[in-house]
Amino acid sequence: MNPLASAIVETWPYVLAFVVGAMLPRRQGRMERFALGLVALLGVGFVRGLWPGTPSAVEPAAEWPHLLSLIVFLPIVGAVAVLFLPRQAPRLLRRFSMGVLVVDFVVSLFLLATPMTSGWHHQYVAEWLPSFGIRYHVAVDGVSFWLVLLSTLSSPLALYVSFGSITRRTKELCFSFLLLHGAMLGAFVSLDLFLFYLFWELMLVPMILIIGVWGGSEKVKAAYKFFLYTMAGSMVMLAAILYMVWSFKQLEGYYTFDYLALRRLLLSEPAAWLCFAGFSLAFLIKVPMWPFHTWLPDAHVQAPTGGSVILAAVMLKLGTYGYLRFCMGMFEGPAWQAGATLAWVALLGGVIYGALCAWRQADIKRLVAYSSVAHLGFVMLGLFSATQAGIEGAIIQMVNHGISTGALFILVGVIYDRRHTRLAAEYGGLAKVMPIYAALFVIFTMASIGVPGTNGFVGEFMVIMGTIVSQPLGRWATSQAAVAAFGVILAAVYMLSVVQKVFFGPLDNPKNQGLSDVNPRETMALAPLLVLVFVVGLFPNLLLDRMHESVSSVIGRYVEGRVAYQEHRGQPGAGLKPRKGGPTESGYPEPDDKPEPTPALEPSVAVRAEETP
Amino acid sequence: MEALQKIFPANDFALLLLIIGMPLLGAFVNGVFGKRLGKDAVGLMALSALAVAFLGSVLAFAMLHHAQAGSESPARFVWHGWQWLTLSRAGEASFIHAGAGANSFSLEVAFSLDALNATMALIVTGVGFLIHLYSAAYMKDDPGFYRFFAYLNLFIFSMLVLILGHSLPILFVGWEGVGLCSYLLIGFWFDQEANARAGKKAFIVNRVGDFGLLVAMALLVRYAGALDWDGIAAGSRGLMTEVRIWDGQLFAAFLPDVITQPRSVSAATLVGLALFLGCAGKSAQIPLYTWLPDAMAGPTPVSALIHAATMVTAGIYLVCRMAGVFTLSPAAMFVVACIGALTALFAATIALVQRDIKKVLAYSTVSQLGYMFLGVGVGAFTAGFFHVLTHAFFKACLFLGAGSVIHAMHARIHDTDASQDVSNMGGLKKYLPLTHATFLASVLAISGMPLTSGFFSKDEILYSAFTRSVVSSNPTTFAWPASTGVVLFAIGVTAAVMTAFYMFRLYFLIFHGSFKGWRIVAGWKEPQHDPHHAHDPHHHHHHHSSGPLDGPEPHESPWRMTLPLVVLAALAAFGGFLNAAPLHITPLEHWLEPLFEATVDPARLHNTDPDHALMWPLLIPGVAAFLIGSSVAYYFYVMRKSAPATSLAERFPALHQLLVDKWRVDELYDELVVGSLEALADAAVWVDRWVVDGIIARLTALIVTVWGHLLRLTQTGHAQAYAATMVVGMFGIGWFVAVPQPKAIISGDAQTGQYAVQAAPGLGYVYRWDSDGDGTYDQEEFGTTSSVTLSLEEGATRDVRFEVKNAFGRTRTGVYQVHRPKRDATSVVLGRDIHQPVPGGAAASAPLTLRGSLR
Repeated sequence: MNPLASAIVETWPYVLAFVVGAMLPRRQGRMERFALGLVALLGVGFVRGLWPGTPSAVEPAAEWPHLLSLIVFLPIVGAVAVLFLPRQAPRLLRRFSMGVLVVDFVVSLFLLATPMTSGWHHQYVAEWLPSFGIRYHVAVDGVSFWLVLLSTLSSPLALYVSFGSITRRTKELCFSFLLLHGAMLGAFVSLDLFLFYLFWELMLVPMILIIGVWGGSEKVKAAYKFFLYTMAGSMVMLAAILYMVWSFKQLEGYYTFDYLALRRLLLSEPAAWLCFAGFSLAFLIKVPMWPFHTWLPDAHVQAPTGGSVILAAVMLKLGTYGYLRFCMGMFEGPAWQAGATLAWVALLGGVIYGALCAWRQADIKRLVAYSSVAHLGFVMLGLFSATQAGIEGAIIQMVNHGISTGALFILVGVIYDRRHTRLAAEYGGLAKVMPIYAALFVIFTMASIGVPGTNGFVGEFMVIMGTIVSQPLGRWATSQAAVAAFGVILAAVYMLSVVQKVFFGPLDNPKNQGLSDVNPRETMALAPLLVLVFVVGLFPNLLLDRMHESVSSVIGRYVEGRVAYQEHRGQPGAGLKPRKGGPTESGYPEPDDKPEPTPALEPSVAVRAEETP
Repeated sequence: MEALQKIFPANDFALLLLIIGMPLLGAFVNGVFGKRLGKDAVGLMALSALAVAFLGSVLAFAMLHHAQAGSESPARFVWHGWQWLTLSRAGEASFIHAGAGANSFSLEVAFSLDALNATMALIVTGVGFLIHLYSAAYMKDDPGFYRFFAYLNLFIFSMLVLILGHSLPILFVGWEGVGLCSYLLIGFWFDQEANARAGKKAFIVNRVGDFGLLVAMALLVRYAGALDWDGIAAGSRGLMTEVRIWDGQLFAAFLPDVITQPRSVSAATLVGLALFLGCAGKSAQIPLYTWLPDAMAGPTPVSALIHAATMVTAGIYLVCRMAGVFTLSPAAMFVVACIGALTALFAATIALVQRDIKKVLAYSTVSQLGYMFLGVGVGAFTAGFFHVLTHAFFKACLFLGAGSVIHAMHARIHDTDASQDVSNMGGLKKYLPLTHATFLASVLAISGMPLTSGFFSKDEILYSAFTRSVVSSNPTTFAWPASTGVVLFAIGVTAAVMTAFYMFRLYFLIFHGSFKGWRIVAGWKEPQHDPHHAHDPHHHHHHHSSGPLDGPEPHESPWRMTLPLVVLAALAAFGGFLNAAPLHITPLEHWLEPLFEATVDPARLHNTDPDHALMWPLLIPGVAAFLIGSSVAYYFYVMRKSAPATSLAERFPALHQLLVDKWRVDELYDELVVGSLEALADAAVWVDRWVVDGIIARLTALIVTVWGHLLRLTQTGHAQAYAATMVVGMFGIGWFVAVPQPKAIISGDAQTGQYAVQAAPGLGYVYRWDSDGDGTYDQEEFGTTSSVTLSLEEGATRDVRFEVKNAFGRTRTGVYQVHRPKRDATSVVLGRDIHQPVPGGAAASAPLTLRGSLR
């Protein structure tokens, strides 16, 4: 084939996608046409670029160590730079912040070029506070890099829709979003517990500002509640971190906050349970899992649209990600034993109870918030099942929830901006005046309730399939899979009820008769999510291929760690698992001046006292 | 043919892509660009998509037939798309079955064509094309024309995915896809609340079925280790695993023995029942049939296509497709057959008294679907599937005929309910000759007049119900009662009598007698013509409420509506010869049997009449049912002009009302299921607000507030109070410093008997020790030695005493007991101060006992 012909063959899907995308809008507007064409083109590019067997565009060997630092610190530096821009030039502020976020997104796309083999990628380690063993240690694996990409995609969209409805205090808004974005990314890539904790706390501050400054009528109360809940969890996590660092020091003689070192710790049984509880509490509040979920509806209802999108799409994922990375990575024994019970909590408290609560909400945004509780129940169930399908399904479901719930929040924001009410009863028959909006809402509803062919199904399906064959869930696995499948019915009940109330029936409220359909800004914000609904729904293997190795090494460690924990169980003190080496331990901190192993008679050796009466 | 096979080889049969892809393209183009394209272009796009798909199906069918002719095993064409998802098995509980040992199995987006779904594809695209053609005329004035065809094309696409999918999850994509299209099309005229509600109900009830399908897939993953057709067949040995469904442990002490006995069933039974729940949802069987009559809120062509000819038969298709799994479990098949028979009877009773033309047809559909399940439930898969085929012909024709009648009624009556009420019709034979003829042909077919299609298919099902059953190789499992065949046959015949009666009732009420819709005035013109609601039943125009109406003669529909009627009526009349078993003309059976023989273990199918001796005798009740039903209807509605029906209704008012109210099952479900779910949800909301949030947020906040208030009392702002508190505090600290603290840590090793007692340091502390336990200090002088070491024999105990003097010259004495255990001792006891625990202790891995006390 001559080069011209092959070039045409290579490019026709892109051209076709661009043309179809550009033809979609019915109104005039070059910008919108170009943007939709570009989104369609990128969608095709994503699928074709990741297709198995496609040679990578970027040389895979070149794993640039500073890539993650660039991704994390670009928005943070941008946030600082925003402080120096004039408040009187909101256009400049908007363009600058959007520019930073878009550049960040484009940079993060380079992660896709890395073949996500087992182990850490784009790892970068630098000493930070050597006397405390605190290092700047960032890396991604097949689990976290999808969440990084989810964040870098969601934040620009969230900021973009925010500009549509928020006009006051633009400078502070840009600053908060950029800082929040950087902090969330930092938390996803940190492998040093101190660094992780730092980012974990750092992202609270801008989020509280976003809720508390640009929120609804009870914004301050909601911001407080959000802050106190999260903070309570963070504190116990900090205590657990410090205890682990101290225990490690007792055994090995040096301080380190590094995840790779600390996950070798085999704490004595009560200590392991306490530390597990500390970490779990922080993460389960963030997820949020029943009964710690009540901050979420309040925060979502009061937060502005952009804040809700970030909260749902990314911030909640830090809880699920944290549980997978830290709780299951460091406390295999307790996590394994608690798994079956916690799975029931996730199912009954999340999937069923969350769905039932969602059904009875009059406020659409509150309903979507409760649906998050139900969706994340699925995610947690997948994690507790600790099977390959379950965990991969959970990760896919994290991404899905970001896509579809993020989109639903944007969509709720659309009518809120027009009518300033979110009560479903205020609407009715909107499909008549806002047909495109109605179509989009129905499509994202279908994605949310997991109609196959959309993204939602893939996650739920894999979680259910992973649950039924799960070992930790034991004899309850089949019943739990059935209850999870039952949740699918309830999802249809609550989402279709609100769709019916808002879009169908007579258009009898005169206030709704003049509503305008989605504007170009809203369309452009939703378009990438719409493409992703179908890309993930039809080609989930593109994502799964890049997480198989990481997930199977996570599971391998989990199973081995549990065995080590059980063998260690009778013994009073703390111990260390053997170093395994291999790619997942590269970057293990070992100071040069490591002292000799401490003698047995050393009185300061940590000991567990078992008292006899 | 050979050239075609080169282009489309059996293992890369891309023709399927064309068949499936065209309706999708049509849906996309119509849905996205339809408003700009105009009605002609939309119609053209939709029709050409269907035409191409139909021609493709015909071609594929022909190729399959050609391939089948030359081979022993059933032919199959597969098109492999891409890997959809991969379910790896790392970390899973070990698999019980031996069949599949792979580390992972991937679900492929793959489609396959075999005898069963090639036939089904022909129905879907063929009947689909006719109904598209009909709709182009029926919907021509509707403002949502483009939307309608987008949905309709999307439905055909989903249906094709459903039947051509090569694995259960792909089938599920189509399964939910058709449910979604059904939802959209039932609620097509969404500005009426009732339509939207009917759509929602259909979707949710179907989701209950989908729940069953999801559970079935999960069980198959666990017990068969595969989800594609070949893999399920290969792993079916694992489905014979006994699954403990009730271990009797729960509250065993309080429950009678019957309940606490452990119960097991085979995995195949669980899978079969879960699959059948899905089938019952999609194919409107007891207990999930209630959505189908409500689904008549959609446009009539939709009722014909989705709710009669194609989608609702997906359940039967699934049972046929999974025949190999179902036949492993006699219990599951028994449930399928019984539910089918009961549904056939139950729905027929409701259809007897309904006055809405579409409702009668809807209940008739439910009833006929029951027959199909009866057929497949007893293991007569071909018979059941044959009824799918004939039912598609005559029921589509009936619905389209009903649409034609409604279309005629819309000349003057625009209200949905009134235009479909048979009491407004009558005598239409004269005005709608083509509709009448085709409707009659279909009525004869569904009632089972000999030699029509319905006669052959229904009577084969009844014959099979009498003679066939499913048996198990394992004598301890559930076996069918001996009288099952007779009972099922009797139910089937009873339902057949009712079917003939209600269908002829409908026919006579519509086409015979005198027209009751309005007074026919020759040359009548509509006074104020509103151009855009000719077919918009959602506009309320209660013209008829103000006295008798005047109107023109009801008119026959245009050719695009009557042509499909004629084709379908011809098929309904003569389609029976596809499988006329009594006449030994059975091309369909020859076509399908190899497939079922390959998947079903013949030992599990039991036939009491292998040489067909009973075939002719058992035809007699079927023919009698037709004769009785139709002649009673003739007597009631033609000879006596409905008088007997009225008097019967007056004699049994309660029963009549119960039937008119559809046995009030909807009300029962509303109260029982919806009501309890609502109560549960309200309880959840209450709990969320007052218990969860109440305890975790409000109660915590309250505790903090109370403490805040209490502690605030101490913050008086009086400097004197602060100073006083400070003095007390200083005094306390000073006391602690002034008194020496004789604390020690004991460490040591029982192996060597070497122990160390280390006294705690303090400000200016000096010590003197009694390490040998003789009661006197080793040295009278205080020294800075803060620890002593001692070595003990096994089993020896020694009191170590020491005195501490601090900088103020005060002294205190501490006594610690050190004990070296014997080798067999296992307890680990650490030194313990009587006032407070000793911080730290000994690193003791060997048995060691240390006791300490301060005396």
